Amino acid sequence: MISARDISKVFNAGRPSEFTALNGVSLDLRLHETTVLKGPSGSGKTTLLALMGCMSRPSTGRIFLKDREITSLPERFLTEVRRSTFGFVFQQFNLIKGISALENVMAPAYPTGEKFSLLRARALASLEMFNLGKRADAKVEWLSGGEAQRVAIARALINNPAVIIADEPTAHLDTRLAHEFIGIMAQLKARGTTIILASHDPIVYDSDLADRVVEMRDGQVIGAGNRA
Amino acid sequence: MGMTGLMKVRRSTLYLAMTAGLALTLALLLLHASHAVRAAQPGFTRKAALVRQVELTDLCLFTEASYTRHPSQTDMSTPFQDSPLSLDHFPSGALLGPPDHLTGNQRD
Amino acid sequence: MRRKGKNGALLLVYTLVIFVLASVLFFSHALQREAALVLKDAPEIIVQRTQAGRYHPIPVAWGAQIGRINGVISVRPRLWGYQYDSVFLANYTLTVPAEHAPPAGSIDVGSGIARMRGASVDDIIAFAGHDGLARSYSIRDVLSGESQLLTSDLILLSEEDYRDFSGLPADQATDLALRVRNPREYATIAEKITKLYPDTRPILRSEILRTYDAVFGWRSGLLIVIFSAAALAFVIFAWDKATGLSAEERKEIGILKAVGWETSDILLMKFWEGTVVSLTAFLVGIILAYAHVFWTSSPLFAPVLKGWSTLYPAFRLTPFLDFGQISALFFLTVVPYTVTTIVPSWRAAIIDPDTVMR
Repeated sequence: MISARDISKVFNAGRPSEFTALNGVSLDLRLHETTVLKGPSGSGKTTLLALMGCMSRPSTGRIFLKDREITSLPERFLTEVRRSTFGFVFQQFNLIKGISALENVMAPAYPTGEKFSLLRARALASLEMFNLGKRADAKVEWLSGGEAQRVAIARALINNPAVIIADEPTAHLDTRLAHEFIGIMAQLKARGTTIILASHDPIVYDSDLADRVVEMRDGQVIGAGNRA
Repeated sequence: MGMTGLMKVRRSTLYLAMTAGLALTLALLLLHASHAVRAAQPGFTRKAALVRQVELTDLCLFTEASYTRHPSQTDMSTPFQDSPLSLDHFPSGALLGPPDHLTGNQRD
Repeated sequence: MRRKGKNGALLLVYTLVIFVLASVLFFSHALQREAALVLKDAPEIIVQRTQAGRYHPIPVAWGAQIGRINGVISVRPRLWGYQYDSVFLANYTLTVPAEHAPPAGSIDVGSGIARMRGASVDDIIAFAGHDGLARSYSIRDVLSGESQLLTSDLILLSEEDYRDFSGLPADQATDLALRVRNPREYATIAEKITKLYPDTRPILRSEILRTYDAVFGWRSGLLIVIFSAAALAFVIFAWDKATGLSAEERKEIGILKAVGWETSDILLMKFWEGTVVSLTAFLVGIILAYAHVFWTSSPLFAPVLKGWSTLYPAFRLTPFLDFGQISALFFLTVVPYTVTTIVPSWRAAIIDPDTVMR
């Protein structure tokens, strides 16, 4: 269970550009389920994802991961939790330019100190699973949109995370690729991975994938319905 | 050389190999140097003998001006023969400063 | 990929800076050591006469008095001077050696002269003497190329030929060379000489050697220019690094943080980046400098060192290396560069990773 208790996030506090992204949000997300955060841009979906994924701390409130409070963890431990528990797929993919697809996939696991050849083999296997084995050494700038998407997902999976967090994953994809993405997520879900997606794309939140859709608006949850 | 530093086996081993190669070359050069110094000893003995025989006092580095040809023998006035305000018009004067015993610099 | 160009240029400049600095250091140090080894048997005290602060020939008779000073073993009048050759636009040094002087009518020439004039043993060379009249001499011997750092421009001749040529009267000499029993007495003897003859200037062997210790010393104008330029180039590049990373680099750090890298991991990576460049530049620069100075006789310094002279010795130097200098060069370049690579990265690395989400 991932729980958020009355969290708020304020940016640029005290300055004229002060902006409240989340206001008193409380939410319980069950593991092994797929949750979609639905809402227009500015509703706070991205911020909520970031907070749950241990990327930043809320201004007020507490977040629990499997009954363990993570809001008060020091930076070191937070990073460790983030690395081992979560895999991120960003809206812009955010692959590191100038290096190959394989190296991008291996990146999140470097700090673990895993033996290099082992890591490389795992990453390669992962890419092959996505039919990208031949493109493993290609520089990311040369990958097509679909290939980049798959590399981004492979990267998110390298540490065998329990939770996948994806922010607007289909925003820059055509329908075919969007459905492909859903398909991959479904496979992961079948393996028991918890998936949290933020999206305002109907292809995502109307799909069978979503066990639960949480609606957000203006930094607050306005509806948390379960789908049958 | 992708500079994000993510060390792919190939790239990091390549770099290590290159650095090792360079370091090895340097080590060899140093070895060569000490050998060459040893081999040059008889030459130095001969040259020292020549110095004794001819009663030389300076190395022949610059031949354009007397005060750069024999810096140990020169005096403070020779470079200024034309005028006390004249600038050094021999380039080698710019390279060679006046010897310590003329300027009165104490060294250790 | 996109940074290969910039980093390549950086590496090149860095290597160049090290190359120049190391070349200069190697060159001057090797020269210094050679001078020390070779001039250790130079005359112990040279007595020069001055008049109104300028050099003047010394009466040979003064040698008798000086010879009686306690501790002086021998006094020998030295005869040497310069000769300008207007045909070849070169300056020669004429000297009468203490031993094995050529017979009258013969000369020994330095290898530089022989090379320049295309002359060899038994050839005849003519010079115009002090009275404008030409005198010709036959070359008895060409001094070794090995000794050219000492003898390149020398012409050795007999005493009578020298006096005839230069017009120096028989009772005068260029200066006096003394041999002393005890080196510790140089200073005392020098004092006594100046007391005897106040318008003399004794030059000690230790001073001769010290001259070459500082031969390309810090006071040398050109050296100051070179080192300043190198330091400036270095500072510019380090400054470029230190004033912050590009947006792309910052984004990259953000991504790495987001996927689970800690600040320390990022700094370590940046440290290796800095080290790659500086270590490579250092090693390559030093190796090239070594080759430049000790294998190819410093051709890049030639135009500078040659100046107006046409007689230029080929500086085939023996590779004396000073590890202190090399280490200093290492610490003054590699370390600051690595530091300036880390500092801006540190500032970027402590940013919260959630910036990458937006």
